[in-house]
Amino acid sequence: MVTLYINGLKVSVEKGTTLLEAAQFLGFPIPTLCHMEGLSPYGACRLCVVEIGEGPRAKLVSSCTYPVEEGLKVRTASSRVIRARKMVLELLLASCPQSKIIQDLAAAHDIRKQRFRQEYEDCILCGLCVRMCEEQMMAKAIGFRGRGQNRSLGTPFDMNSDVCRQCGGCMYVCPACSLRCTYTEPEKAICGGCANLSPPCLEKEEFDDMMCYMQPCVACEIKKN
Amino acid sequence: MRKLASVEGLGDFRRRVLAEKDVVYDRPTLVVCAGTGGQASGANDVIRIIKRYVLNRSMQEKVALRITGCQGFCEMDPFILVEPGRHLYPKLTMEDVPRVIEAAVGGYVDEGLIYKEPRTEKHYHDQLDIPFFKKQTRTILGYNQNLDPIRILNYIELGGYAAAEKVLSNPDPEWIIREVQKAGIRGRGGAGFPTGKKWELARASGNGRGQKYVVCNADEGDPGAYMDRSLLEGNPHAIIEGMLIAGIAIGATEGIVYVRSEYPLAIKHTLIALRQAHDAGLLGKNILGTGVDFDIEIVRGAGAFVCGEETALIRSIEGFIGEPRQRPPYPIEKGLWGRPTCINNVETLANIHVIIDHGAEAYAKVGVPGNTGTKIFSLVGKIKNTGLVEVPLGMKLSEVVYDIGGGPVGNAKIKAVQTGGPSGGCIPAKMFDISIDYESLAKVGSMMGSGGMIVVDDNTCMVDFAKYFMSFLKDESCGKCFTCRKGTQRMHEILDDICKGKATFEDLDLLEELAHVVKDTTMCGLGQTASNPVLSTLRYFREEYERHIRDKRCDAFVCKELVGAPCQSACPLGTEAWRYVAHISRGEYDEAYTVIRDANPFPSVCGRVCHHPCEERCRAGTSGGDAIAIRSLKRFITDRVDPSLYKPQRVAWTDGEPPQIAVIGAGPAGITTAHYLSLRGYKVTIFEVEPEPGGMLYCAIPTYRLPHEIIRSEINALLDENITLKCNTALGRDITVDGLFEDGYKAVLLALGAHKSKPLSLENEDADGVYPSIEFLKALNMRGEHLARGRVGVIGGGNSAIDAARMALRQKNVDSVTILYRRTREEMPAFAEEIEAADQEGIKIETLVTPTKVIAKDGHLSGLECVRNELGDVDSSGRRRPVPINGTERVIELDTLVVAIGEDSGIDAIGPARLSRIETTRWNTVKADRTTLLTNRPGVFAAGDVVTGPNTVVEAIAAGKRAAVMIDRFVRNEEMVQPVEPYLPKVYIEPVRMDTEDAQPADRVETPRAPAEWRTRNFSEVEVSLSVDEATHEACRCLRCDLEFTKPKEAETETEAKAVATGGK
Repeated sequence: MVTLYINGLKVSVEKGTTLLEAAQFLGFPIPTLCHMEGLSPYGACRLCVVEIGEGPRAKLVSSCTYPVEEGLKVRTASSRVIRARKMVLELLLASCPQSKIIQDLAAAHDIRKQRFRQEYEDCILCGLCVRMCEEQMMAKAIGFRGRGQNRSLGTPFDMNSDVCRQCGGCMYVCPACSLRCTYTEPEKAICGGCANLSPPCLEKEEFDDMMCYMQPCVACEIKKN
Repeated sequence: MRKLASVEGLGDFRRRVLAEKDVVYDRPTLVVCAGTGGQASGANDVIRIIKRYVLNRSMQEKVALRITGCQGFCEMDPFILVEPGRHLYPKLTMEDVPRVIEAAVGGYVDEGLIYKEPRTEKHYHDQLDIPFFKKQTRTILGYNQNLDPIRILNYIELGGYAAAEKVLSNPDPEWIIREVQKAGIRGRGGAGFPTGKKWELARASGNGRGQKYVVCNADEGDPGAYMDRSLLEGNPHAIIEGMLIAGIAIGATEGIVYVRSEYPLAIKHTLIALRQAHDAGLLGKNILGTGVDFDIEIVRGAGAFVCGEETALIRSIEGFIGEPRQRPPYPIEKGLWGRPTCINNVETLANIHVIIDHGAEAYAKVGVPGNTGTKIFSLVGKIKNTGLVEVPLGMKLSEVVYDIGGGPVGNAKIKAVQTGGPSGGCIPAKMFDISIDYESLAKVGSMMGSGGMIVVDDNTCMVDFAKYFMSFLKDESCGKCFTCRKGTQRMHEILDDICKGKATFEDLDLLEELAHVVKDTTMCGLGQTASNPVLSTLRYFREEYERHIRDKRCDAFVCKELVGAPCQSACPLGTEAWRYVAHISRGEYDEAYTVIRDANPFPSVCGRVCHHPCEERCRAGTSGGDAIAIRSLKRFITDRVDPSLYKPQRVAWTDGEPPQIAVIGAGPAGITTAHYLSLRGYKVTIFEVEPEPGGMLYCAIPTYRLPHEIIRSEINALLDENITLKCNTALGRDITVDGLFEDGYKAVLLALGAHKSKPLSLENEDADGVYPSIEFLKALNMRGEHLARGRVGVIGGGNSAIDAARMALRQKNVDSVTILYRRTREEMPAFAEEIEAADQEGIKIETLVTPTKVIAKDGHLSGLECVRNELGDVDSSGRRRPVPINGTERVIELDTLVVAIGEDSGIDAIGPARLSRIETTRWNTVKADRTTLLTNRPGVFAAGDVVTGPNTVVEAIAAGKRAAVMIDRFVRNEEMVQPVEPYLPKVYIEPVRMDTEDAQPADRVETPRAPAEWRTRNFSEVEVSLSVDEATHEACRCLRCDLEFTKPKEAETETEAKAVATGGK
């Protein structure tokens, strides 16, 4: 057993547990996007960062990949953590404004506007689908390609994979596109679209008290383009 | 080579090799650097010619050839070093090679080819005397020079594998680790983790069971760094020996060299060396019969920067995508294939055999405590001597940059050094006295990194510089961590916006915020340091960022969208130089005059005395050729076109009685303001203390540069019915600011200039015959008095010193004129052409002297005691500080001494500032907002030298112009600060079509000047106007930077039209 302190609370957990599991065990909420029980930890989305250590040696680490250490002092919601987390969400929102999960996370973290240039990407490269395919479906049909800004997700040479069984597991775990708003291309809808993102500023009655909390309204922005 | 069977066998073998060497090598050796850099510069040709020449003439017995890896002095490639005299023949062409061979065989030095210091032309016969080598301690790199990397015998005869011999004769891992710890060597890969500590941990790891690995990290990816490559190329056996010792120390039997495929020569040499070591029995099973097993293989990386990170490197060796993973567990515990793995940098491993062979104590003596040994840096960028330098840690950065590196190229000033590659940070020139060690570099926000040192000068825009690194990093991030992948992209995006003038101050804040978060939240070293280029440039060069955002200016003239045509944006007035040059090339002189006059109310004056910043920035000049003679072309136009042709646009004041404005000082700034206010319908009164208007133009600029009639006619043309000129009226004596406001003036402009020379502050300065330069020039210009006589000395190195000297030379009773300056000619702030003209006229310039005492006899000057200086450290201005040498005082006999060491406004001396409650600075200038020109009193503006201190004419005119705009906004109660736009070319002027014959390369036109003997006898103008032919020719040389912005979309050419119409058939 390893004893450590999370937000000042002393806790003993089994060796090999991650900080995320330990914190969740104590009931401290830590948002995650690329983490899923049953899949190996990856540490890509950086949402789950927590602060460890003290004084000048204090640093942020991703709690989903960091194993517990004896006597470690962990803070899951220090101001440094919150600041980082908000910036990560702002970046996510700027890249994938149409993801319901990201919108909800952003709303929960009180992000009212995003200052980066708007992009409309579908993928945050969290790698859940890759791990799902490899570890649960034993298929390894998809994987990462390229690096840096050219990193993308797909099958080798973009050819249909022989090993893909079209189980849909990849889509099931996707945080960015599972409830993708398809306002601009309704025919490609997976789920029928997200009502939250119809331009509420234009047709308020129809959507009752539903609010688009973003400034500027993403749906309106799309419409303008 | 026969396999060596025992440790003693290796020792015997070395002794045999050394004995033979004494016999064989008793002849001159030609050493050729054929590393990757050398080969790229033509070393292979040199080698081929040497071989042919030697064989043809059967000189094999007289001269030997050694082909080595990179020796470090890459700037001079291809070169031949002749041993034993160490004569260095740099930058050889194929024709030079036989001469070098003959010199080597003949035992003499070829003075024509031998290394010369570029600036002083001093010849250096011995390589070790060359400044580049003199301050280095080439413990590791020295081997590169002394051995042929593909000959193991060379390495062995230089004492190679002696450390292995020592270790193998009695393998004691604990002892090795203790020695390495005692030596205090820290990882040379960048982070500086103590190597001994790492080995100790690696030894303890894994419970002493199972396989362990030693990995040599040769994945060197920083732009501009190549020391690891050079070590592998030039001395692979040292790495092998280091790995073998590391293997014994930690208990590993397998080693891997991870090297990038982009280093083919390094791979080749390493493979050769591995085979040789195998054959010699130095690698493999049962090494030298001691029972120790160790083997090394090479793994080639595919060139991802991130694979230099240890966990990514391990993934890459295992065959996966090179992605870092979370540490802990560290590779020491769980590395390659899950086994303990010790990863060391190439340079660290290259140091090991030195430590073991020479002993830890000897090693630890080099460097400073905590930072022992030497470090190799790759010194690149805007510096004279680029190459690899090896210095003891703890050396001052300035020594590396200025002494070894030889300082800046050309006239540029070194601005900063980026250490540690893209992950490092920049260190500004004013902090160059820090010592190079891990802690000091970290303290100033940079890092040692693997040892890249990129020098940048004032032609480098720091925003663009940060953008370059960010562009590198956004491509080279592995992409796993969202914040690193997206963060680098977003930082690049914002930096790009700033460079294009599209960003706001909010974006700058966002950039900084983002940079901190990226640093904080990413997993590996790459991401955690990815923000450093941004953060460190922001830390030291925030002003540059702000200039881009607020003023839409890029002072280094790099960011294209802000610079436009450099000649235009370099001009304080924004004169469209490209435009009038284009008109001249087309013969449209009236149009050219209009363009000039539109921006500048003093075209004839500026055509003669402007310091032409346009020419400094002209792309024809900065891209390697000669700048267009823009000022001479301006003079050509103003000499030819009747000024009355230009009719400025006037706006009458409609809203009742026109407001009255007071301008104090009738210099270029004051008159410009009055002129532009008058055009807008204001009534302006100019108050001037002297009997005639013109300010410094009239008092201080020598008539041989600017005849008085030119000033008079230009000023007279500007004074109109809206302007009243009141001469002989002094502020504080005849008028006061309060009084002016009481008289109904709506605004007051202070444009008094800087008329007071700074004193030397030496005793006897008040002696007869000592004059402040402005007094001296005024006496001559305004009253025709000749104050100089006999032997004249002028102290100072600025333009006013040269002016005073040249004016003194033209006076009746003068025998000789000497300028005394405390630094060297190169550092003189005066314009080069002025210094040259002074030279021609026979003025003596004595440099590196500082006056210490004025010697007076009966109240009359009789001489000046001076002390000789040498150049010391670099000061905040980026120039080397003059340091007096004690005991070199001597007396120069003088009859007249002119002190020209700068001017200030002297505004306190005459009292009006205090009187009118105007705030001043500690430099005795008026404090005014740089944008609005407002002083602390509402309605009181200040412009020109009185704000900036002594400055150029065109700056004063620009300030005057701005003052007019600001006063207008003030009176109309408009917003004073309004957004600015960069000066971008807007009008398209079709270029002159040229035949291929006309389009031959052409030199810059020489501005005609009167002969020196004639001009020293009188005060008449020296420069003469260009002829029509000369002017047209010169104007046609213009590169037309404007066309990039103004050229209409290419109309469909005939061929294109045809191709489209016929579908290419």
